[in-house]
Amino acid sequence: MTTNETMQQEEDFELSELDDAELVEQMHEDLYDGLKEEIVEGTSILLERKWSADKVLNEALVEGMRIVGVDFRDGILFVPEVLLAANAMKGGMEILRPLLSESGIKPIGKMVIGTVKGDIHDIGKNLVGMMLEGAGFEIFDIGINNSVEDYFEALEKHQPDILGMSALLTTTMPYMKVVVDEMVKQGIRDDYIVLVGGAPLNEEFGRAVGADAYCRDAAQAADVAPQMVRARRRGVAVNA
Amino acid sequence: MTNVSQFKRDPGRGNRSGRGARSGRRRASGARRRAVADNQAAWIERGIPHFEVLDTEALELIEHNADTVLEEIGIEFREFPSALELWKGAGADVDGERVRFPRGLCRSLIEANAPREYTQHARNPKRSTIVGGERTVLAPAYGPPFVHDLDKGRRYATLEDFRNFVKLTYMSPGLHHSGGTVCEPVDVPVNKRHLDMVYSHIKYTDKPFMGSVTHPDRAEDTLAMAKLLFGEDFIEKKTVLTSLINANSPLTFDATMLGAATIYAENNQATVISPFLLAGAMSPVTVAGTLTQILAEALAGMAYIQLVRPGAPVVFGSFAAAVSMQSGAPTFGTPETSLVLYGAGQLARRLGVPFRSGGGLCAAKIPDAQAAYEAANTLQTAALAGVNFMLHTAGWLEGGLAMGYEKFIMDADQANMIALLLKGVDMSENGQALDALREVGPGSHFLGAAHTLANFETAFYRSPVADNNSFEQWQQDGSLDAARRANGIWKQMLREYEAPRLDPMIDEALVDFIQRRKSEFEDRDY
Repeated sequence: MTTNETMQQEEDFELSELDDAELVEQMHEDLYDGLKEEIVEGTSILLERKWSADKVLNEALVEGMRIVGVDFRDGILFVPEVLLAANAMKGGMEILRPLLSESGIKPIGKMVIGTVKGDIHDIGKNLVGMMLEGAGFEIFDIGINNSVEDYFEALEKHQPDILGMSALLTTTMPYMKVVVDEMVKQGIRDDYIVLVGGAPLNEEFGRAVGADAYCRDAAQAADVAPQMVRARRRGVAVNA
Repeated sequence: MTNVSQFKRDPGRGNRSGRGARSGRRRASGARRRAVADNQAAWIERGIPHFEVLDTEALELIEHNADTVLEEIGIEFREFPSALELWKGAGADVDGERVRFPRGLCRSLIEANAPREYTQHARNPKRSTIVGGERTVLAPAYGPPFVHDLDKGRRYATLEDFRNFVKLTYMSPGLHHSGGTVCEPVDVPVNKRHLDMVYSHIKYTDKPFMGSVTHPDRAEDTLAMAKLLFGEDFIEKKTVLTSLINANSPLTFDATMLGAATIYAENNQATVISPFLLAGAMSPVTVAGTLTQILAEALAGMAYIQLVRPGAPVVFGSFAAAVSMQSGAPTFGTPETSLVLYGAGQLARRLGVPFRSGGGLCAAKIPDAQAAYEAANTLQTAALAGVNFMLHTAGWLEGGLAMGYEKFIMDADQANMIALLLKGVDMSENGQALDALREVGPGSHFLGAAHTLANFETAFYRSPVADNNSFEQWQQDGSLDAARRANGIWKQMLREYEAPRLDPMIDEALVDFIQRRKSEFEDRDY
């Protein structure tokens, strides 16, 4: 342990000593600082205090990540910091997810995500996955180079709200249409929200392949996805 | 002022810090910007080699030819008899105002006396800079009678514009020096404006600055004001002014420049002896011919300074552009003048004196693509060439006729990048980043790696001007081009500007001095 750490410990305190309001505020700060262990601990404490999983999710975690999102948008937080925050959020979500499921509360959202056939460029896709985890989504990342069959298998298995496809190449991006067309053919297109992304795409292309929205970057995806899931559950379409 | 170190990543990040940590960090953005002023470097320390275009044989030939010019043709020292007397005493052949120099005389005077580098003190000791050696000091553009901005277009500069550019320079971390005539305040009478200009460099910044050279009396006034600021004793021993002395090329020094140069040299203040060449008009059309003339003029000027006061700091200056053979107009950012600049840097290093050149030169009238690429060419050339004192770094438009507000911001952005380029490659353990490579391995990504988290804030230069967002984001932000974005930046900087503290007693003494001097003369337009 470094001297610095020792000195810091003297200023430390136990999360369990904080009252509810203080603890929630501290969790917002810990999310901001990407402290996973603290988020896991805070989540457990609130549950022990008989908070519902739903309340912990919305008041402690989602609200904390909302603050992170605002500062990311404003250029105060950087990508590695947001990923750290998202990772801390994921820690809390792992505890909450089974409880939410038991109590019959719908999760914020589930997403299957992967790059299309022929495309092995996955940094952007990974970023979207992590940002959405930060927004409380459950992500099923099926990796790179996915065929129609791969996508369909994952949809069947995970029953997500959203199918996300990405491509970096102009030569691979048309495959998105192949997938959507097949969904239409099989009569499952309307069972899912389809989001597409990748550097060579634009909104027009997104519409042309039959996606519900084109997301220009990970931050926008994290913004759009929950809105679309909520709207869909209310039975309205969102024009993103 | 806030110390920037508090924004550095806390090494004990894994531990929970005290309450309020978030709000502390969230405030950091605004404070970080303000804190810049207190943590600016005073120069760039070079960590990469010089880019050189001439081999030893070529350099020796140019040096030989320059001595031939000095010996055969000579240099005119016009309307300045005391210089002729000094040259006679030094063994030169004086014929009327023409001075011819025995081979090696100028070089030996310089090599025996001129310092290889010197400290120019600023009123804030943290801003005192060193000119020479492996250092680069950047200063804004010098001399434009016009200013240009996107809102009001091109117009004559005023004292308000002058103050604005002093303030913007003060706030620009990439600019180490406040410069001199950042623009010509033509709303103030010619014989009095130097007082307001020098005062602005004292009052609105604490970076080092340049003195007036347009008349010997104005050099005296500059010195008097420097004495009020630094104290008489301090000035005796130290250099607090670096002033620009142009040769009246070809092969001529005039009385105005010699008068100012003499006063500064007598007082141990630094002068930048700059052959000012528009090749094709004021020097031969070839690179080697122009270099020969630059060396001859610089040698004669710097040697003269050493005759006035042995050991007085001098800088080997070079301002070289080319004129269009089609129209006669000066051109900038062209390959031939880049070759001249690289060569001049080599000649200065062989002589063992600091070198001045470069800047964000361009012929563009507005902050457009031409302005950006011509300026990028000259800035990068100057950086690689090993310029020690880079005048005209920021703001230059239209061959120096206009000082551009947006152009200034764009150039200051480049200045920041020059500092990082010249620093070179970090080969420390952290720089080698083997930990990161081990942690991430094949596939995956580095965005969340511990090494990335420990380094990302300073790993890459972030331009305040460049837009790197997606097309859609850029469109949402108003589809602004670089100049438009720069327009917002300079306005914000001027809104946020806070003057560095100046001792009220000194301020009062300076204001009294200026009022007294102004009342001693009628306003004059010369």
